Amino acid sequence: MFVWLETTPIAQLVALSLWAYPALLSLHIIGLAIVVGIFSMRDLRLLGIAHGVEPTAFISLGKLAWIGFTINALSGILLFTSQATIFITSIPFLLKISFITVGMVLAVIIQARLSNLLVDDRYINSVDRTTRFLAAISMSLWIGAIIAGRLIAYF
Amino acid sequence: MIIDSPLNQWILDTYWLWPVLEIVHFFGLSLLLGGLIIIDLRLMGYFRSLNLETINNLIPLVICGFSLNLVTGILFFIGDPMRYSVNIGFQIKMGLVILAGLNTLFYSWKIIPALANWSVSSDTPISVKIVGLISLSAWTGVLVLGRLIPYVGTG
Repeated sequence: MFVWLETTPIAQLVALSLWAYPALLSLHIIGLAIVVGIFSMRDLRLLGIAHGVEPTAFISLGKLAWIGFTINALSGILLFTSQATIFITSIPFLLKISFITVGMVLAVIIQARLSNLLVDDRYINSVDRTTRFLAAISMSLWIGAIIAGRLIAYF
Repeated sequence: MIIDSPLNQWILDTYWLWPVLEIVHFFGLSLLLGGLIIIDLRLMGYFRSLNLETINNLIPLVICGFSLNLVTGILFFIGDPMRYSVNIGFQIKMGLVILAGLNTLFYSWKIIPALANWSVSSDTPISVKIVGLISLSAWTGVLVLGRLIPYVGTG
């Protein structure tokens, strides 16, 4: 299946065109900045850094992170097709995809917990222990995704 | 002068250092862009539910990201000065970093002192929108040009 994927016209375009691969890498780093950028601000805030920011500010920013995720899912799939057989056997690549998957699931859970803070004004600036714990896991996953993503080029 | 200096030799001889610097550089850009995307979009009049005065508390994280990338960036340069100094992508990237820096100085001198005069969820004046747009455009250019350094020629 991955061998077939590499022979598709779109994979051939990404692999052989002079501009397609760098253009996709450029999109991929913009998406990374949006996704990891927004989520690291959110997670660090929930962990108590920059505590002047209301935790609930990140509810509306969630959709921006999803836009970044969409940019990177699409650019990532196209990058993947060009060397599918190599990526699918790369341990750092598989780790990266796993970290991102769990990170996005946690994003949905954290988003729901932040929305609950809006229900009662008294708790608007309080972050409970479970949410802090989830934020610590999430931050680690996104750092892990960056580490694994960079290491794809080295292993 | 830089080539064959002890630091240059150490960076070249330490096989694990380059990927570690890259990973830190990527995390640094996430902190830098993450905070700026939120602040700049609010300056441009988006996400009006966000309180501009409180989200300015993200600025220390932005500075933290910039510092990480300044240090790792200088080490990249010392490790391979002939590659970067003549690279057109690197040269424009540095120009954009300076432009963004001047824009930030203008923001902190002229705009932050005026923030208290605005109501929390109001639209922003056109001059402030332009400051946000310049910042976001310059940093997006920095990201893309940085990613393209391996693909573009000398300038």
